[in-house]
Amino acid sequence: MFAADPLFSTGIDFGVVLIALAKSIIGFLFVLIGVIFMIWFERKLIADFQNRIGPNRAGPWGMLQTLADGIKLIFKEDLRPDGSDSLVFRLAPYLSVVPAFLTFTIVPIGGIFTGAHQGTVHLFGHDTFLQVADPPIGVLFLLAMSSIGIYGAMLAGWASGSKYPLLGSVRASASMISYEAALGLSVVSVVLMSGSLTTHDIVAAQASGGSILDWNIVVTAFVPFVVFCIAATAELNRPPFDFAEAEQELVGGFHTEYSSMRFGMFYLAEFMNTITMSAIIVTLFLGGPSGPIGPGPDQVWPFFWFLLKLLVFLAAFVWVRGTVPRYRYDQLMDLGWKRLIPISLMWLLFIAGIRIGRDQNWSPVLVPLAAIGLGALTVGLLAGSMRTAAIRREQSDEDDLGEVSA
Amino acid sequence: MTAALLFAQVEKVATPKLDWAATAPLLILCGAALLLLLISSLTTSRPARGTYAVITVLASAFAIGTAGVLWARVTDAERGAFTTAAGALTVDGFSVFFIVVISLGIALSALLADDYLRRENLDGPELYVLMLLSGAGGIVMAMANDLIVVFLGLETLSIALYVMAGFNRRRAESRESAMKYFVLGAFSSAFLLYGIAFIYGATGSTNLGDIAGFLNANTLEHTGLLLGGFALLLVGFGFKASAVPFHVWTPDVYQGAPTPVTAFMASASKAAAFAALLRVFVSTFAEYRLDWQPLIWGIAVLTLVVGSVLAIVQTDVKRMMAYSSISHAGFILVGVQAATAQGVSAALFYVLSYTFMIVGTFGVATLVSGKGDEHHGLEAYRGLSRRRPGLALTFTVFLLAQAGVPLTSGFLAKFYVIGAAVDAHSYALALIAMLSSVVSAFLYLRIVVAMYMTDEEGAEPGPRVRVPLGAGVALGLAVAFTVVVGILPQQVVHWADRAIPVVLASGR
Amino acid sequence: MIAQNIAFGILAASSVLAAIRMVTTKNVVHAALYLVVVLGSVAANYILLAAEFVAVVQLLVYIGAIVVLFLFGVMLTRAKLGHEGELDNDQRGLAAVTALLILGILGYVLVDYFGDDKLPQLNRTHEQLNATRGTGAVGNAIFSTYLIPFEVVSVLLLAALVGAIVLARRD
Repeated sequence: MFAADPLFSTGIDFGVVLIALAKSIIGFLFVLIGVIFMIWFERKLIADFQNRIGPNRAGPWGMLQTLADGIKLIFKEDLRPDGSDSLVFRLAPYLSVVPAFLTFTIVPIGGIFTGAHQGTVHLFGHDTFLQVADPPIGVLFLLAMSSIGIYGAMLAGWASGSKYPLLGSVRASASMISYEAALGLSVVSVVLMSGSLTTHDIVAAQASGGSILDWNIVVTAFVPFVVFCIAATAELNRPPFDFAEAEQELVGGFHTEYSSMRFGMFYLAEFMNTITMSAIIVTLFLGGPSGPIGPGPDQVWPFFWFLLKLLVFLAAFVWVRGTVPRYRYDQLMDLGWKRLIPISLMWLLFIAGIRIGRDQNWSPVLVPLAAIGLGALTVGLLAGSMRTAAIRREQSDEDDLGEVSA
Repeated sequence: MTAALLFAQVEKVATPKLDWAATAPLLILCGAALLLLLISSLTTSRPARGTYAVITVLASAFAIGTAGVLWARVTDAERGAFTTAAGALTVDGFSVFFIVVISLGIALSALLADDYLRRENLDGPELYVLMLLSGAGGIVMAMANDLIVVFLGLETLSIALYVMAGFNRRRAESRESAMKYFVLGAFSSAFLLYGIAFIYGATGSTNLGDIAGFLNANTLEHTGLLLGGFALLLVGFGFKASAVPFHVWTPDVYQGAPTPVTAFMASASKAAAFAALLRVFVSTFAEYRLDWQPLIWGIAVLTLVVGSVLAIVQTDVKRMMAYSSISHAGFILVGVQAATAQGVSAALFYVLSYTFMIVGTFGVATLVSGKGDEHHGLEAYRGLSRRRPGLALTFTVFLLAQAGVPLTSGFLAKFYVIGAAVDAHSYALALIAMLSSVVSAFLYLRIVVAMYMTDEEGAEPGPRVRVPLGAGVALGLAVAFTVVVGILPQQVVHWADRAIPVVLASGR
Repeated sequence: MIAQNIAFGILAASSVLAAIRMVTTKNVVHAALYLVVVLGSVAANYILLAAEFVAVVQLLVYIGAIVVLFLFGVMLTRAKLGHEGELDNDQRGLAAVTALLILGILGYVLVDYFGDDKLPQLNRTHEQLNATRGTGAVGNAIFSTYLIPFEVVSVLLLAALVGAIVLARRD
């Protein structure tokens, strides 16, 4: 059932190269056009939340507003502060954009996964997956790219040679580093259930039964999904975790000193990351492009389902932004380190325990019970030690105060 | 519901058989470390005095107990030595011997640390936790049957030690020594790793059994890669064993680190380094003995000479002991250089008796140094015989043992090592060892003279020295061992003779 | 094979150049970035050897975690822009001699042993390659042959964790 992309199985000829090239270009365009749409969508939706009209001049319903903004950015003067580090200052925007693009390459955007198709489509005499690449390391590539994405934010703030951007980039990279662990742990639950690292196989495993109960969101019992969504929001530096560019505190965050197309690239990367992350959530937890095949050309349906699911998440991100107030820095760190990481780690062990029990034919009642018992013990110990730490901190604070007054 | 929907995948990992009894000492030490962390993270009030130290000592005692059980098993002619966990660990007399030595190092240092931590107001379980983990790393090194396992054991040992060296954060020397140790240690680890890569390149395996098998079965046309690997491995091990010319960290780190930690470094850490050196070189690379023996010969001579000569010019007792520990490493290397069963067992005897001597020495130094861990100059020892005659006598025993005076274990240790060198026809080395022993005797006598002969009236009186229970027990044990084994060595010699490392191919 | 050799040449050249720039640059952040190039080239070399898993782990661990933490530390402590004077010390001549010596010896030894040996041509399909050195194979090795190293690493990390807290904690 698991297989590599059949495109390269028959050797490489001109057609294969052409298809690979076409897939890359289509993927690129998909994300770019997606960004243009997403910016308009977000502004329009936020406007609705806030009882405003939002962009309404350029094109029908203001849809071309983004394009107009983009053209404006290109023609703006490109400023570079005096005290900045010229090489790194120019490098940073690309370091933001490129990983954002690359992550999308592993997302399957179509293909029928039920029956004999195995997610392949027939193009110009070749069978191929509808994703730019299906590396055997799959989702690890996602984690690698998201950790490389940190560089853009980090170096932009440092190279600007000014205080607010530096603070913004320290905050951004701190939150990204902190939430990477929770993100990775919840991905591991998915990998454990699907038995493969490649995104194609993960989708195939979810589509195998043809029912919504096979989706990883159900199979991993929701917890990793919730953790992943929260961690992804923090990873994207989106509200309510957008303290990296909190306007009230830091002017504009790490890209304060950027203007013109360099600023445009950060902007692009931000929205691209939102789209890519939503697509990854859809792929990992919601069965990717799988769904019922309706009438008409059958290869259109998976793409339609994929877009629909993607849209739900994009809307959800905007909705959260429109309604939830911004977290404080320390609250974010607490949430990441003291809640999400222990929860996702425990859930991973829980799932792993149940799987081992199944593989070894242990009692299906005793294993979950023992796992729950152990889990409760762990939670108790963790809560106890956190309480102890809090009490100790109070004591030492009192001691400090005592010393100061004495 | 969830369980029913699990996506089935049939392929299973063939996990290797793990002999739990063989890993019990490791599990006990690591388990005790976790227990300490758990206790301290769940209790708000400070536990009763010495709780942590008692747990640490008990854990080491248990580890020694399980080692005793293992000893009966591996020395039984019918069952013999074996490997476990897919050939990653060897359980033979050699590993059991070092489990005991390292556990003793942990227990004795923990006894010294108990009062020290309270005195320096550093209460907390972390030092014990690190000591236990570090000791576990050392035991892994001694048991390792794979170069990767050796490396990981060494890293576990070292990383905990780096932190332990800087444990007394209020003293700048302590922090400085941690930094120095860390930078140089990381550097030497890189050499070790490079050496492992070379050996792998030359023999196609990192498993010691497979390497030995390969070297026995094949003759290498180009030995450059293998010899390069030897040299790089020697750098890595030599650093941990503080052999010259990889010794430069030793004086500063020994001096700067908290004294109980120095005791641990000189006992357990050095023992682990020699365990790895003996197993890897003497047993695994036995076929290429003639190639590495000259290397060790040179290092041993340098170590002996530099250690004893530089020790004499020091005025700080901890620094003196650092240099003297270098020269002791030279003596053990003399045993290694012999590359015979006799040499190995002499080295083992030396390691065991040195553990007691050096822990005792640094134990006295801990007590004399006083609050702040400051008084390590020779003047702090002036007239100690009048203030604390018992302590002065104890210290004298350790110093004489280190000098190699008869009726102490130190004399026999040197005697066996030199005997092994003579039997292996390394006459020059034996001669140099004897001469350096004479030179370093001057150093130890200098301290003894300071304690007994100096008139106290002229000098300003040192700090008041008190002997707490834990340290007293540790010192008592060390003195007892040094004297008793010095007179009746047969049993220990018997153990050392049966603890020759064996190299087993993986899968057996 | 020619394509692989060209790719290797480019990667080797870029990693060597970046390594040299890393030790000669006058700015800590630049040095860290050159280090990223070196590590990235190593990761790319793993891909050339068809070891994707190792390559991506190299990316994740070294570039994604270690250098990020380097930069983080640098930015929090001494994020100076421009040149820094005190990055050099008097021993650089000695260091250069030592480095060249080690390079010479290691190079000689490797050439002496392997000469112009060639890697055996493996005419295997993608699936067969994956079975022997793909992610699954790595996982199997970790939990069978290298079980003890894997467990010892956890002890090592525990020691490092406790140690980091000990050193970082304020009194």
